[in-house]
Amino acid sequence: MEKTIRLTVNGEEKTLKIGVQQTLLEVLREDLGLTGTKKGCNQGECGACTVLLDGKPVSSCLLLAVKADGKTVLTIEGLAQAGELHPMQQAFNEKGAIQCGFCSPGMILVAKSLLERNPNPSTQEIKEAIAGNICRCTGYLQIIEAIRSFVS
Amino acid sequence: MNDYNYIGKEIPRVDGPAKATGQAVYTVDVKLPEMLYGKILRSPHPHARLLKVDTSAAEQLPGVEAVITGEDLQEVRYAFVDTPRYPADEQPLATEKVRYIGDEVAAVAAESEAIAEKALSLIKVEYEILPAVFDPEKAMQEGAPVIHGEQSASTSFWEDWGVAQQKKTVQEDPSINNLSGHTFVSFGDVEQAFQEADYSREDRFELKPTAHCQMEPHAAVASYNPLEDKLHVWLSTQGIFLKRLFLSKTLGLPASKIRVHHSFVGGAFGGKIDLFPYEFCAAYLSIKTRRPVKIELDREEVFMTTRQRHPIIVKIKTGVKKDGTILAQDIRVIADNGGYRGSGPVVIFLCHGFSFPVYNVPNYRYEGFSIYTNNGIRGPQRGHGAPQIRFAIDSHLDLIARDLDLDLLTIMHKNVRQEGDVLPNGDRLDSCGLTECLMGAAGAIDWQKKREQSHLQANGNRYRRGVGISLCSMFSGAMYYPFASAAVVKMHDDGSATLFTGAQDIGQGSYTTMSQVLAEELGIGIEDICVVAGDTELCPIDLGSFLSCTALVTGNAVKKAAADAKRQMLESAADLLGLADPAGLKTQNKMIYLEDDPQKSVSFAQAIQASVLKRDGNPIIGRGSFKGYPRTERYPSLAKAKGLFTGAYGFAAQAAEVEVDTLTGLVRLVKAVTFHDCGFPLNKTVVEGQIHGCVSMGAGQALSEEVHLEKGQLFNPSFLHYQLPIALDTPESAEGLVATIEPSGPFGAKEVGEGCVAGILGAIANAVHDAIGVRIYSLPITPEKVLRALKKI
Repeated sequence: MEKTIRLTVNGEEKTLKIGVQQTLLEVLREDLGLTGTKKGCNQGECGACTVLLDGKPVSSCLLLAVKADGKTVLTIEGLAQAGELHPMQQAFNEKGAIQCGFCSPGMILVAKSLLERNPNPSTQEIKEAIAGNICRCTGYLQIIEAIRSFVS
Repeated sequence: MNDYNYIGKEIPRVDGPAKATGQAVYTVDVKLPEMLYGKILRSPHPHARLLKVDTSAAEQLPGVEAVITGEDLQEVRYAFVDTPRYPADEQPLATEKVRYIGDEVAAVAAESEAIAEKALSLIKVEYEILPAVFDPEKAMQEGAPVIHGEQSASTSFWEDWGVAQQKKTVQEDPSINNLSGHTFVSFGDVEQAFQEADYSREDRFELKPTAHCQMEPHAAVASYNPLEDKLHVWLSTQGIFLKRLFLSKTLGLPASKIRVHHSFVGGAFGGKIDLFPYEFCAAYLSIKTRRPVKIELDREEVFMTTRQRHPIIVKIKTGVKKDGTILAQDIRVIADNGGYRGSGPVVIFLCHGFSFPVYNVPNYRYEGFSIYTNNGIRGPQRGHGAPQIRFAIDSHLDLIARDLDLDLLTIMHKNVRQEGDVLPNGDRLDSCGLTECLMGAAGAIDWQKKREQSHLQANGNRYRRGVGISLCSMFSGAMYYPFASAAVVKMHDDGSATLFTGAQDIGQGSYTTMSQVLAEELGIGIEDICVVAGDTELCPIDLGSFLSCTALVTGNAVKKAAADAKRQMLESAADLLGLADPAGLKTQNKMIYLEDDPQKSVSFAQAIQASVLKRDGNPIIGRGSFKGYPRTERYPSLAKAKGLFTGAYGFAAQAAEVEVDTLTGLVRLVKAVTFHDCGFPLNKTVVEGQIHGCVSMGAGQALSEEVHLEKGQLFNPSFLHYQLPIALDTPESAEGLVATIEPSGPFGAKEVGEGCVAGILGAIANAVHDAIGVRIYSLPITPEKVLRALKKI
């Protein structure tokens, strides 16, 4: 069964005909070709597929795309503006928070959303915010450091 | 050493922006026109005879383009270890038997994943269930089910190279049931030394299987083009030339008819180097259907059917003098490699290889057995044997120290190897900072004070703290196919350069560190370098990003290629400047100048243009190469551990402070310290990132990670239940870089990415003992084990 939904993706309004069983992750990756959103486990356990839905982080592999009808999605592709890295992307790169890079899109979006909610998070609050995003490469230290660099 | 412009600097990753913006294309992101999707049917039984595979219903399902079974591939054999002693024992799809739950039986290519999945459910397989065995010690006993009995006439993939020891006859392995590999090595007089020892003790340690947990699942895309008779593949791998060799031999295609294309790799940790059936099947199905085929494993398949770290049993006996000097050591290792040999004979060899570089043990006997069971296949994983053997040896030494009322640090200092030592196999320690590492780590964990504090803790305290320490070592490359790394530096009109390297950045930062080596040697900026990597068609051979060889082996190749390009530019510049020879010319910022008279200068661009016009059209292309180990042409004997192993050993000392909740049994890693001798660190941010990753993985494997198997069935094939570290588990951390200069390394660099996953295990185990006064002999140290040790359950 198919359904037509309207999504604002990275600032662009889209009308999409999708299967009702499709997840938001599938629609982003397969239908829109936005492969920056990663599929690490497809069961909501790793956070690699995190996107911001109306500004809040969600695991796009657990969300049916029809549930996102009428909402605004920000994926990693929408973060850098006019060829300039977003400051969070810049900080991740400078602090060594990126290794294999597979968790980075989700991790960066979660970090951005944390700072919008709480501009001065403690280290514990940072750890809690990214607790749902698994990184096997960095041991999290340089990721925490990158996010802390925004804390005054 | 401090006047480098790029080496040793904290230069951000060159692939960082692509990865931070989602532009980086991984294998799972590759989508080709007309692409089919493949799925694999797997055995639900740990050991069974395959009686009949009926694919007729699946073939008739609309949307199914091809179905293949073992019958199509009778003769195809391959394996990570493929030598005259150990002929290849794996097949892409089972023919006679299945040997573990998840063993591949059939593969389907269809228009969508859903159709492929549906097709699998239509394949009817008849099995005759056979008795199975899951415990390696039981599998070794007479009368245990025999898992492999087949004769294979396969010869080594590498024999063409003539690098194997040419022997008329292969020495027989001991007659032990289900033996897949055997290593025996001995030096000195062990029996005599034990008699002379003041004290000796024997212990048994055990480690469970663990998973790599690369964030990118295993995937392959294959596209066969009949017009050029060429197979194009995208693989999530850490060694493109080894994969090409495997595919060439199994598909019967010349290597030149296979092109591995670059894609970014979402983590590897040793688990993406073997050839996997899904890769072969994607290629085979593409050749059969003449359409691109993608096979992406789901997370459960990755846990079950790719590779795990070997569960290992270590029995170890050590004899010491009263002052802690080690006189003799007798080590016996049993590794369970699962249903196929995997890297079994390698891991038992490496348990020796990572045992003997750390302490000077004059009388030593080591025997390793790798054993078939009906568990999942085990292969290389970060450290590959080092975590297991280092945990056992340093836990054991801590027990000896406690028995003799000596400080463990004293025993370690007394016995650690020193720079200039020659190991019994002939390897030289031209750089060795073990003593400095040990001092640094002990200082950073505040050893004396913390140890005194842990002795003074009241017995009734619910929370108890303790500290522990352990040492580790790791190779920096070895002789393994293709036995060398090479690099090409192509200069452009504007004086910038493109580096061609077969090395794959699997997250360890090699594109960045190799750019730094090139920039430093050539005298250009990082922004003037473009890296073309990971493509078998464009790039010269490379050992691959495993065996910790990239920094030293590929690094040397890049440095030599840069030096070659520079030499050619200087010759051209000397012509332009009217100098008799280029001696005295220096390079910096894409300029060539006379050191004594810097006003006399030409730009790289001018020198390159002049070279094209005046030096036989030479556009300046530099080339360099470096062998896996320059002092030998052979790979070492796995069975006898003879021959040279590696050109340089990386070393580390790691310390841990833990807090044990004696009510719940939960152990919290409070602080982790690593002092690493990685030679001269090419990039501090990269090096520290490697250490952090190693520590996190090691801490997980010490405290929570375990692949839970019950009669061969995996019970926790998901991140949630596997329990790898999350951000909340991150301890306080301290690192020190003991910058020795490795003479054979580029700018003095050697290994960093693997060794220090190993020492943290023993450090944590010793810290737990320090905290609660009881030893836990098996990893992971779960709350249940702690409570049992405390006799609370």
